[in-house]
Amino acid sequence: MTDEDVDKVLQKTSGAASQVDPALLKRIADSLNSSLRPVRPLPPTWAPTAGLALICAAVAVTAAARTGFYGFEKLGLWERVLIFSTLAILVWTSGKEFVSQLIPGSRQPLSVGSILTIGSAALLGVFSLVFRDYRTDHFISAGIACLRTGLLLAIPAACMSWLLLRRGFAVNPVAAGLAGGALAGLSGVTMLELHCPNFQALHVLVWHTAVVPVSAAAGALVGWALHKHSSAK
Amino acid sequence: MARYQAGDFAAVTALVECVGPQLHRFFMAQSARRSDADDLLQETWLRIHRVRHTYRPSEPVLPWFYAIARRVRIDHYRRASRTTARERPLEEVSDVVATLPPDEAHGEDLETLLAPLSESQREILRMMKVAGMSLEEVARATSCSVGSVKQKVHRAYRNLRDGMTALGPKRGSSRGLS
Repeated sequence: MTDEDVDKVLQKTSGAASQVDPALLKRIADSLNSSLRPVRPLPPTWAPTAGLALICAAVAVTAAARTGFYGFEKLGLWERVLIFSTLAILVWTSGKEFVSQLIPGSRQPLSVGSILTIGSAALLGVFSLVFRDYRTDHFISAGIACLRTGLLLAIPAACMSWLLLRRGFAVNPVAAGLAGGALAGLSGVTMLELHCPNFQALHVLVWHTAVVPVSAAAGALVGWALHKHSSAK
Repeated sequence: MARYQAGDFAAVTALVECVGPQLHRFFMAQSARRSDADDLLQETWLRIHRVRHTYRPSEPVLPWFYAIARRVRIDHYRRASRTTARERPLEEVSDVVATLPPDEAHGEDLETLLAPLSESQREILRMMKVAGMSLEEVARATSCSVGSVKQKVHRAYRNLRDGMTALGPKRGSSRGLS
């Protein structure tokens, strides 16, 4: 037996007529018609994605402007280009994924988990190329301060992103939360790269990069909780 | 769909009559009771109505419908399993369907044929064979990559091929295949 034979059997058996009650369909149509009014469709994916990228950049730059661009000033030209172009690509990719998660039936060439893994690996790769100071002074205390700053900054970025996409509908709230959290975390990392003057490799590799997965996990948790709350109602 | 978004009454009726039976069959295939499928269909249309602005006219429409229908189905089973301890899990229901003779199993041969497959494989084949969706559209509806859908279809066909070969003469005589 070949695939063509299986295909023929499937084609033959799939033609059975549906037995849905016409009265049920009429009742549904009447119910929808009773509250029908024109709606404005969502814009193309690139528009909200660009909005999300702007939000992330604005939040990071505003926070860095308040605390000082010490990290940015300390970096060389090529280091700046390498780090911030990587961050820009990751913000765009995560933003696009977040938008796709909030539009049913969107194309998703990669899962959110894959994007998160690839994004974190890309950050680790770039940071390990740029930062070569292998001392570990105040590793825990300085690290926790950076992680906390990055995560605190992710909160306004996440709230503003959600406001922008509030008309969307998440078919998978956990995945949407994961994508949104990762995006907000990237805003936090961008701010840390602009501000943090601590160029010790392990500090940046561990604590700066950790902002993204921790923020993504928090986003997934929020998505799960919101979904549980809404389905309980 | 664009006319529906613009508030056209006739478009709603036409859309419900066109897509409703497909969605109903999608739910019937996975539900032990007809009333469940009816409830799910109504709930899906209400959800579709609430989020109809999320459809973009430049995008394929079936993946959009099926993505929402899948979500409603998952929510329904989760809610049902929370509220009643007697509710059987989906796999168990599928097993029951698999053991029923074709007439009792909603009278649908396709479901009997697909019964030995995993739930995700059955779902993908139903979308492709009943709704006539392409690989790309199924990938969109299930939030998977096209590669992942291809792999599931390949495995499903292999399982079906093995099953049909093992049943050979019996299935061949009942379905008119050699």
